[in-house]
Amino acid sequence: MRLVRKNLVKSTRGLHSKQNGLLNFSDYKKRRNVFSYWALIALLIIFVLIALLPIFWLFVSSFKAPNEINSVNYTLFPKEWNFTQFIEIWEKCGLTDVFLNTFVVVIGAVICGVVFNSLLAYVIAILKPYGYKVVHTLVLLAYMIPSALAIYPLVKAIDNLHLLGTYIPLWFVFGANAYYYLLFKNYFEKMPKSLIEAARMDGLSNFRIFIKVILPLARPIIGVVAIFAMTAAYSDYLLPYMVIGNLKSENWTLMVAIFNFSSDKDVAPHILQLLVLSIIPQVIIFIIFQKQIMNTSVNSGMKE
Amino acid sequence: MALPLLLFVFFVWYPISFNVVLSFFNNEKFETFVGFNNYIAIFQDQDFLDALRNTFLYIFWSLIIGFLVPLILGFILSEAFHAKGFFRIAIYLPCMISGMAVVFLFKSMFGDNSWDVINVILIRWFGMKDGVEWTKDYHILIPVIVFAMTWRGAGGTALIYLSNFQQIDDAIYEAARIDGASPTQRFTKLTIPMMKTTIFMLLILQVIAVFQVFYEPMVIAGVDNNNAISLMLLSYSFAFVKKDSFERLQYSKSAATSVVLALIILAFTLLYFGLTRYFEKRAEAKSEGKL
Repeated sequence: MRLVRKNLVKSTRGLHSKQNGLLNFSDYKKRRNVFSYWALIALLIIFVLIALLPIFWLFVSSFKAPNEINSVNYTLFPKEWNFTQFIEIWEKCGLTDVFLNTFVVVIGAVICGVVFNSLLAYVIAILKPYGYKVVHTLVLLAYMIPSALAIYPLVKAIDNLHLLGTYIPLWFVFGANAYYYLLFKNYFEKMPKSLIEAARMDGLSNFRIFIKVILPLARPIIGVVAIFAMTAAYSDYLLPYMVIGNLKSENWTLMVAIFNFSSDKDVAPHILQLLVLSIIPQVIIFIIFQKQIMNTSVNSGMKE
Repeated sequence: MALPLLLFVFFVWYPISFNVVLSFFNNEKFETFVGFNNYIAIFQDQDFLDALRNTFLYIFWSLIIGFLVPLILGFILSEAFHAKGFFRIAIYLPCMISGMAVVFLFKSMFGDNSWDVINVILIRWFGMKDGVEWTKDYHILIPVIVFAMTWRGAGGTALIYLSNFQQIDDAIYEAARIDGASPTQRFTKLTIPMMKTTIFMLLILQVIAVFQVFYEPMVIAGVDNNNAISLMLLSYSFAFVKKDSFERLQYSKSAATSVVLALIILAFTLLYFGLTRYFEKRAEAKSEGKL
């Protein structure tokens, strides 16, 4: 017992150098506080397990053959690790095409999301033409009402322009995003006015000021919006389903493919493999941009 | 200037105004003006009443599950001293999986069959005879869906709480410590009051988000399962799935449902903006008073 206690104290030695927070080193001189600290950590570990176990379960189960997934004798780990079914499902669903389509849609969405929203924000925040306040209020209104609420008129309008079945609406819808617009606008308003004045003195046109002065300075916020647009376009489902869901499977994006294949007799038993394959690109992107993503998610709650 | 505005007109303002006007007409060709008849019709429609009930059940459960979990997580993360980076990434990991994949993952885990994993756990470890049929009862189904939403969303919200907990000045804690305040007193008298604004704001944002629940009931329960249907899903369903007794899709009812939901969301958003402004002004007044 004494040994256990000794070890516990030893292992918490780090706590005696904790400087900040509700509880710091001076609180951890009391053993009671040390115990409550470890109780909190235990709770945190439970939360972490809840967060990680479904992902773990998904990866392990995805190696099971379909007849084993639906077997009455449940085992956590597959009796046979079936690697080949990933290749089978890849070919059956034509995932090469699907991933390429998704890539095309995501790239277009990122470009539209950055270009059009920053342009509008530049005009409203810096040029301030006649009636800019009305436009700003209308955009704010759009920010409050989710666009999915009016999906039928939108689809009908897209149909009237003969754009149904093309990727064009999927790109341009990201050009009309009130949240990205607000991010740009807040950023532009904090820029030093003297820079723009100086550029104007040098005789640059408004458009060239935007290209030569504003955009190079706005790189951090462009990165934030690009990451948002990337993840949003990758996971977007409703509008893509409405616009390209009726096409042949080689034209689908990944989310449309997951949804449509989930009711397909041949593919439905392999849905777990499909999910794993859909998560892998996101894991890669997360590993590359981990810092930026975690930071932006902190800011994203502070909309406006 | 013109092009981005055109995009907003096409993708946002036109569809919304179209729906508002359509909600006062009998069909999508705008043949006869019917006043508020569509609204009266939906309030007499059992599907709409079910959806309304479910929407408030979603709010109720998300206040119990979805609101507290990120708050607690954010607090523990801000106090944790060991393996900080690991805990943060592990908690955040579910957030980067796309919503659609999360929904299908939970649908596979919470299947009705006795060999689906959650039922296996219930049968083997908790001695239940048969598994639970999750989709049959809204008292079970809605908490499961809220659990799925929380599982995906909690990490991101927890990080927001975390950064706010860390913004609390350590000198304030130190002063209280010197005055002999116990950790519990510091928590209830200092931490909670200082976090009140953040907590309240995130709470309203969450309520707004929950009103928009859509994919989760659609995939986990199905469009025609009234045990989980939300207002958003019902509006979609009126326009694309559910037909009336004459085998026609009910666009006007869909529009009326959208308008009702939009008004609810609008009210909450205005409340959000109003309160943000109020809190900011109060904070300003306070700091000026101190100076």
